[in-house]
Amino acid sequence: MITVRLRFEKKDYAIFYSNLDLQRVFQRAMKKSGLPVWYSKGFNPRIYLTFTFPLSLGHASLCESCDFKLNEFVEENTIIERLQPCLPEGIILKSAKEPTFAATDICYAKYKITLFDDTGHCKRIFEDYFKKDRISVVKKSKKGDAEIDIKPLITDIDILETSDDFVVFTAVFPAGGTYNINPNLLLEYFEKEYGTDRHEAFVTRLEILDKNKEILE
Amino acid sequence: MDRKLQSALLSVQKPARYIGGEPGVIIKDADKVDVRFAFCFPDVYEVGMSHLGLKVIYEALNKEPDIWCERCFAPWVDMHKIMKEKNIPLYTLESKTPLKDTDIVGFTLMYEMSYSNVLQMLDLAQIPYYSKDRGEEYPLICAGGPCTCNAEPMADFFDFFILGEGEYLNTEICRAYSKCKKQKLSKLDTLKELSKIQGVYVPSFYDVEYNEDNTVKSVTPLYGAPIPCSKAIVKDFSKCEAPVNFVTPVIGAVFDRASIEVLRGCVRGCRFCQAGFIYRPFRERDVDLIDKNARELCHNTGYNQLSLTSLSTSDHSELEKMLDTIEPWTTEEKISITLPSLRVDNFSESLIEKTTKIRKSGLTLAPEAGTQHLRDIINKNVTEEEIEKTAKIAFNAGYTSMKLYFMMGLPGETMEDIKGIRDTCQKLLDIFYSLPNRPKGKPDISISVASFVPKPFTPFQFFGQNGAELIAEKQKYLMECIGNNKRIKVSYSDADRSFLEAVFARGDRRLSKVILDAYESGCMFDSWTECYDYERWVSAFEKNDIDMKFYRSRFRSFDEINPWDHINYGVTKDFLISDYKKSFQAITNRPCNKQCYNCGANKLLGRACFDYSKTTV
Repeated sequence: MITVRLRFEKKDYAIFYSNLDLQRVFQRAMKKSGLPVWYSKGFNPRIYLTFTFPLSLGHASLCESCDFKLNEFVEENTIIERLQPCLPEGIILKSAKEPTFAATDICYAKYKITLFDDTGHCKRIFEDYFKKDRISVVKKSKKGDAEIDIKPLITDIDILETSDDFVVFTAVFPAGGTYNINPNLLLEYFEKEYGTDRHEAFVTRLEILDKNKEILE
Repeated sequence: MDRKLQSALLSVQKPARYIGGEPGVIIKDADKVDVRFAFCFPDVYEVGMSHLGLKVIYEALNKEPDIWCERCFAPWVDMHKIMKEKNIPLYTLESKTPLKDTDIVGFTLMYEMSYSNVLQMLDLAQIPYYSKDRGEEYPLICAGGPCTCNAEPMADFFDFFILGEGEYLNTEICRAYSKCKKQKLSKLDTLKELSKIQGVYVPSFYDVEYNEDNTVKSVTPLYGAPIPCSKAIVKDFSKCEAPVNFVTPVIGAVFDRASIEVLRGCVRGCRFCQAGFIYRPFRERDVDLIDKNARELCHNTGYNQLSLTSLSTSDHSELEKMLDTIEPWTTEEKISITLPSLRVDNFSESLIEKTTKIRKSGLTLAPEAGTQHLRDIINKNVTEEEIEKTAKIAFNAGYTSMKLYFMMGLPGETMEDIKGIRDTCQKLLDIFYSLPNRPKGKPDISISVASFVPKPFTPFQFFGQNGAELIAEKQKYLMECIGNNKRIKVSYSDADRSFLEAVFARGDRRLSKVILDAYESGCMFDSWTECYDYERWVSAFEKNDIDMKFYRSRFRSFDEINPWDHINYGVTKDFLISDYKKSFQAITNRPCNKQCYNCGANKLLGRACFDYSKTTV
């Protein structure tokens, strides 16, 4: 039995698939591909499939991955060639190799965010942001809502382009199973403070990083 | 992706309902096709994608290089709102083309409660509701599906209806349309051409006059339109390929599995069942073809569940052979087989064994009525002993829960029959406890009790539906009979919804304005509890001064002209009258593959439905 990690991009309309949808779509694609996929033993045989780091619905990503198991070794190219046609538009396979890191190694993620605002607040948003001591948001969790300051948590902010009507920037957010800050929290903050619409923002996950902010690949 | 659409999609629930792009989707070059057909299902994506008819039409039309069939579903309330706000016209999933820019917009009318959503979709598509208000610049709007056997309440909204089976018919219509389009014919002339095709019903070509008491006085055809107007059927069904390239929904669907229709029509003739009559004559698909298509379908889709569907799958004359052929490879490939609509009277151990090898699913039986007398009236030929035998087999095979379907408000029903529902359930519980090898745990019987809706083209089409008070009384009595028995769970369908269904099922053209008023006052998704608002419908009727009771509660005399009498689905009115009369004396019919009762459907086939010299089933 061999574990294989599929790396893939999720973009265009595929950003609207939830993690549950992806689970279903990959299961079906694997069955359809005819690859010698390993099934769990038991009354209800299932394909083993885990996603490394779930992505929010509506976000695009260049660095998604999931693990599955094969009964025997298959060439990387063959895996990709057989699986790709069984996947929906917007899910683009990049590689199929042995996993090189564990999900728990993920500590940060870098995102690119484009925010449109027809009322012309975009330039001001970041002028204000850097001047402020605190950026308070409400983080919801199973344990209850907590007000936190996300300013020290979000790092490496890089404004690529800006005008009154839109801003494009990249930033690094804490990520992974232990402590995660969803970029939507920042967008909700902008919405509250400046009346921008968080549905007019397009988010792409660019890279996942380890504790030293080195890229995990 | 269009920014306006993307931002709309980011703000709704389940945005993947509105994006297309699923595995199996067909994309063509819009400039290289002659006819663009938009298949519209007036309910949400997950419901519409469960519909086998969609897959049949999608595959049949897209097989043709010059036709492109795309899909469109009713946007849920949140998307509806935002499409209106942002002025996004309703579009096809495949190419995101506004519906108004296609050639033919084809709805499927599966149930009466989806009528308001047809108007919702036309509204969002920015297409005028009434066919008379649509100029040459708009596509032809048509509809098919079971409700078209009497879609008179919707007639004024549609340019034409497609009666019967679409496998070949839809392609033929698109071909004829293409010819008209090339000759630049007007809409009227195009419809005249289409009306020559068997199965095409152009409602505006039939002039309906009413009597003073609001019953139909006469129906007069115009432009040489045929009267009666007959449905089309697939005569060579046994050799007709089933669809094998389903579009597989990424977000799931209500029925999300491979399914092959193994037979069409039904030999049983249950007197309440519209499907049992309007899909006649009975035809079977060849076992070898079923096997071949099932393999192709499973391989093409990657589904791990295969449903062998029909109105009554165990009536296939070669069921055992079918299962013996399919079972080995499905077991090998970890695909489970499900048989919907099993019959109580030929349920067997080997059937259970073959269908539960991979995964065990729930067990549902439909005795429909609580006593033998009432089952005889409705011609549901299931005996007490058969129900008991089935329960014994199922409990012995490890089932502890069972679902039973019953109806309330059937013709000839008494309180004794209502009590019979409880008695039937109690009998099953007693059987469970009497078995020495019963499974562990306690048994659960859940029963679903629907209010009976008389439908056109059934022997009960003449019957006046039970009123609200009577239904309430019967429901109350059933609860009293069950008392505090915790092993029996009862669920009722909304009685008032069945009143609306009854009105529209046997309605006429005077109802179109009621449906439009209801939609404009906010009615849509009427089959969804969270949207359904009976009071709004009542107001729409009152506003138009139309009495619901005229349509639903009245006994219709045999010589009255019904709104659907100029439509021919094979089964004759004379047969329906004689069969209804038989029900008064609780006289049953045998399955019609054993004895022909001259319903008339064989005329569509041009020959006898069965070789009665051979023993069947």
